[in-house]
Amino acid sequence: MLPLIDIIVRSFTDVSPADTRGNYWWLVSNTDNLIIGARTILTSLVVTIACLVLAYPYAYLMTIVSDRSRKWLTLAVMMPLWTSILVRTMAWMILLQDTGPINAFLEAIGIGAQPLIRTTFGVALGMAQVLLPFMVLPLYSAMSKIDPRLLTASSSLGANGITSFFTVYLPLSRPGIFAGSVTVFILGLGFYIIPSLLGSPQEAMISSLIYLQVSQFLEWGHGATLGVALLAVTALLLAGFSKLTKQSAAKAGADR
Amino acid sequence: MQRRRIANRMWLAGAAVAALLLSGCQQVSQSDQTEVDLGTPVAGEVPEGVFEGTTLTFAGSGGIFQDGQAAAAWDPFAEQTGATFLQDAYDPGKLKAMVDSGNTTWDLVNATQFDTAQYCGTLYEELDYSQIDISNVPEGTITDDCMVPQILYGLVLVYNTDTFGDNPPTTAADFFDTEKFPGQRTVSASPYVDPQMFEFAMVADDKDTSSVTADDIVPALDKYREIEDSLITWTSGAQAQQQLESGEAVMGLVWSGRGYGAANAGAPVAAMWDEWMVMVDSTAIPKGSQNLQAAHSAINYYGGAEQQTKMSELTSYGPINVNAKPDLSGELGNWMTTDHLDTGHYPNVDFWVENYDALQSAWSSWVTTG
Repeated sequence: MLPLIDIIVRSFTDVSPADTRGNYWWLVSNTDNLIIGARTILTSLVVTIACLVLAYPYAYLMTIVSDRSRKWLTLAVMMPLWTSILVRTMAWMILLQDTGPINAFLEAIGIGAQPLIRTTFGVALGMAQVLLPFMVLPLYSAMSKIDPRLLTASSSLGANGITSFFTVYLPLSRPGIFAGSVTVFILGLGFYIIPSLLGSPQEAMISSLIYLQVSQFLEWGHGATLGVALLAVTALLLAGFSKLTKQSAAKAGADR
Repeated sequence: MQRRRIANRMWLAGAAVAALLLSGCQQVSQSDQTEVDLGTPVAGEVPEGVFEGTTLTFAGSGGIFQDGQAAAAWDPFAEQTGATFLQDAYDPGKLKAMVDSGNTTWDLVNATQFDTAQYCGTLYEELDYSQIDISNVPEGTITDDCMVPQILYGLVLVYNTDTFGDNPPTTAADFFDTEKFPGQRTVSASPYVDPQMFEFAMVADDKDTSSVTADDIVPALDKYREIEDSLITWTSGAQAQQQLESGEAVMGLVWSGRGYGAANAGAPVAAMWDEWMVMVDSTAIPKGSQNLQAAHSAINYYGGAEQQTKMSELTSYGPINVNAKPDLSGELGNWMTTDHLDTGHYPNVDFWVENYDALQSAWSSWVTTG
């Protein structure tokens, strides 16, 4: 708690002579901050969507297979979590680099080498891989509570597969979607290692900007202000999402 | 019985901690007292065994450069004086944290001349030049009171000799002439801003860097924006070297040591020495170092002709002692910055220190948002 208070105090008191109107004015008047802030949110959003698209069928698969297979599927999700992020990022660096195996493969099948590392795609790919378990697990926990007989019931009442998915299954899995998306999105906002190793300065996110201000430019006030802003955005989003989840839970209850 | 034993142990542990604390205090007061008489300093010389028991920590920039420095100077210094030399990685933010908290654990660092000039007296100790022999340091390279040059290197246009064999670039302007010299060129987009990047663009426009003003900063960056379609970037020296070696870039504005690295690895590259930007890194003593005298003495030792010769041969970076004579047979001979000091442009340090904030915000804006 104490470091947090120190950071908040610093964001007001540690003002460099260049910022005549204070750090918060610097924060909002500097277009680069806004661009990087928007980029951070956008990257997290892309990663969240990618994770959702990948994790949804996977989590569904986990609910319908045998116990034995489910254990293997769970293990496959958990394994990466037990490996250091740094190690995994290094592995991506090797895979994605211009002369790496992926590009060698693309070259061999005639597509030709593509820029992978130091692109938004590379950053999103690395982040999605790290964050995927945080999507799969809440989804699975929500889906495992859905009674499969409801789907049978809906089809017996004349709904085809697609209709019953969208009207029965998807709404019931919504708590999992919310929980997973919020977790992935918020964790994504604060990512540092992956954007800085798989990206270039052109993919820099807020955390890189904070590092730059603190460690290279020695503008600790700027760093503190960026940190407080990131915290505030995260808190706001969390509050917003929790309200949404409550509403949707209430709605789901009413529907029933 | 059991309980008593534990109590006993705790008492022992407490005594050990107290003893440690005491010896710690003693060490501090000792290092204050052990001002030894080293006589008039001569670069590269230090009496035997004078710093027995002293531990010095050097924070450098890593890679072959830090290894070379250790092998050429720090390790022999430790051996001769009885001191212990530890190595760490330099980071300005970490230095500020140390100084702010009053607990400086570094004694020597590798900084840029812009770092030391900006924070002389606040993050770095003002040096006592009576303890360091600077008579053989190249003229004009000591640019503030907190530094002695560490290496002389450069931001150099390096080009592919296969591509431009008969008609190589000879001026800074050629770098920006994508019609006469087509192909991808690489420049730094690292968070570390080298003001020399800006000056290179000014030189290309025939502007006089000695009268640079704040209004020149944006136009200089615009010159790079103009050739955006032919521009790729590097964020680490290793990456610059790799881009030259792979031929991804037909020319680049890179640190001279990296050009040498590429040439030494067999890449068909050469440096354009007709116009290049001189760079100087500094050895500095962090504010609050516990071993001021030993740190000064180490800097003095580092500047010896013999040490500098070895450092240059190991790292390819130019020596800061005019009497150093590295063996330049082979590829190294083509890359020794100190052989080309007459065609190099020296940075306008005073101006850039004064305008560092403007420089930095223009730079970080360019590298992060284009």
